[in-house]
Amino acid sequence: MGQQIVHRLLISFPALLGVLFLCFCLLQVVPADPAMIIAGPDAKAETIAAIRLELGLDRSIPVQFFEYIMRVLRGDLGRSIISNRMVSEELAMTIGPTVELMLGAMLIAVPSGLAFGTLAAVNRGRLADRVIMACSVAGVSMPVFFIGLILIQYVGFKWALLPFTGRTGPVWDGGLPSLILPATTLGLVLIGPIARLTRTAVLEVLGADFVRTARAKGLRETVVIVHHALRNAMIPVVTLIGLQAAFLLGGAVVTETMFSWPGVGRLAVGAIVSSDFPTAQGAIMILAIAFLSINLLVDVLYVYLDPRVARR
Amino acid sequence: MSVDVLDSIAVAEPATGAFARAGVLRRLARDRVAAGAALTLSLIVLAALLAPWIAPYDPYFTDLTKAMQAPSAQHWFGTDNTGRDVLSRVIFGTRATLMLGLVGVIVGGLIGGALGIFAAYYRRLDGWIMRLVDVMLAFPAILIGLAVAAIFGAGLTAVVIALVVATVPDVARVARGAAVGVMGQEFMEAGRAVGVTDGALIWRYLTLNCISTIFVFLTLRFGQIILIGSALGFLGMGAQPPTAELGMMAAQGRDFLFMAPHIATIPSCAIFVIVLAANLLGDAFRDVLDPRLQT
Repeated sequence: MGQQIVHRLLISFPALLGVLFLCFCLLQVVPADPAMIIAGPDAKAETIAAIRLELGLDRSIPVQFFEYIMRVLRGDLGRSIISNRMVSEELAMTIGPTVELMLGAMLIAVPSGLAFGTLAAVNRGRLADRVIMACSVAGVSMPVFFIGLILIQYVGFKWALLPFTGRTGPVWDGGLPSLILPATTLGLVLIGPIARLTRTAVLEVLGADFVRTARAKGLRETVVIVHHALRNAMIPVVTLIGLQAAFLLGGAVVTETMFSWPGVGRLAVGAIVSSDFPTAQGAIMILAIAFLSINLLVDVLYVYLDPRVARR
Repeated sequence: MSVDVLDSIAVAEPATGAFARAGVLRRLARDRVAAGAALTLSLIVLAALLAPWIAPYDPYFTDLTKAMQAPSAQHWFGTDNTGRDVLSRVIFGTRATLMLGLVGVIVGGLIGGALGIFAAYYRRLDGWIMRLVDVMLAFPAILIGLAVAAIFGAGLTAVVIALVVATVPDVARVARGAAVGVMGQEFMEAGRAVGVTDGALIWRYLTLNCISTIFVFLTLRFGQIILIGSALGFLGMGAQPPTAELGMMAAQGRDFLFMAPHIATIPSCAIFVIVLAANLLGDAFRDVLDPRLQT
């Protein structure tokens, strides 16, 4: 188990460097020379040169990159061009809502995906199976924003059941209604793939010897399916959820933008649209690091669920 | 861990020679869902190809006196907020969206396929290539799109780069998995023994035997790639107005959702139909050509 995690960490390290380099590049493309902006329009060449020296802009790119990493490690991501606040402060405000949205989506998607997938597998070939699989293919083919548009138009606007812009507060403090629509939007796209894979996995396990043994010793069908089949089918499903993390993250960016949800994704999109490079760099970095961590977490969980992996 | 799972799904035996194409088509035609999907997709592609000739109006012609009309006999899909014909814009938008998806899948497939096959053939490169692939996998496509759009400016190029980066690592893994399977076959050893050159071994012996697996995988990915591309368009990272692209059209229509919902929902529906047809066809191809790629 330890070895697996070390291996994963070794992979994560170059990936992390890649993320940092990408973010570093983001700061290099600022259209104007920062020294010239600080010095003002009629500064002399010497003044500009002095400021360049002070900012370290005269040094080579690798050195600047190294210094950038050092700054990031200290938590200094620069200052937003638009709001003039520290980027780290902006990020601190947006991480909570994003985590909330993702957890909400998972809370909707994982149980229903598992339930539908198992139901389809148990009723293989019958009507229930076909309906669930058809819905699942349709769900996989649906753009996130389409679901969001429909929910906003009907649930939010026409029937006026739930709020659909912004976030009224944390879940525990009256924020639940404003979370429901965004979380449902993001959750619905995930149900399809989870249900599909659960079905395949359960079907595979249902044919296994230990399931026959369980039935033969007279266990009730629900116990066989939930404790024996579903539990073993969880292994590929957990991997899938890990692989879907990219999907979840991308979906979150779209969902946040649609519902004006004050999360990291909307921050990133807004920053790019308004050329606020320091903020864009910070937001992209946080999202990429979050993705790396989710993958790491899934691998650990995987070893826990399937101890055979650790022995390989 | 996840890497092993992806590899193991694709460890394929070599496809039996060049797959009998006629047989494949006949079997596809017997599957009614697949046939319907194939028909829909060909109609959509045809419409996209013939866009300038079949679009009833100029997709860029604005007429504010006709803004936000609901669908009618004159404008089948209605008009948008500046009075442009939505049907014509959807036809042109489909063209842009399909192009993005195709370029992403083809370029990504070529790069990823080559990486995977080289990794399987040259054992020395294996570790390096797979590390590179792991690193690429650490970037979700939407993030790549955002970063590229931030660095080089939003536009179709940013989206294409993101889609290629999204395609390469998965294809590389599947191709490597398939190629490792072929490498273990006796004919590879035989080829080497009679002195076939590396180039010929890689192309005639290895690649041609992996191609159907890679092809099936790419058709399965095509729908997802289109979804990512249109999401980036929706976020404003792709085609810039007035260019018609389905994701961007949906985003523009969002501002008029309550007055004229058709402006946003029709392009979204178009994406849904394209992706659904592509997914159904991909599933059918997989069942016929390479059932082992079951996901």
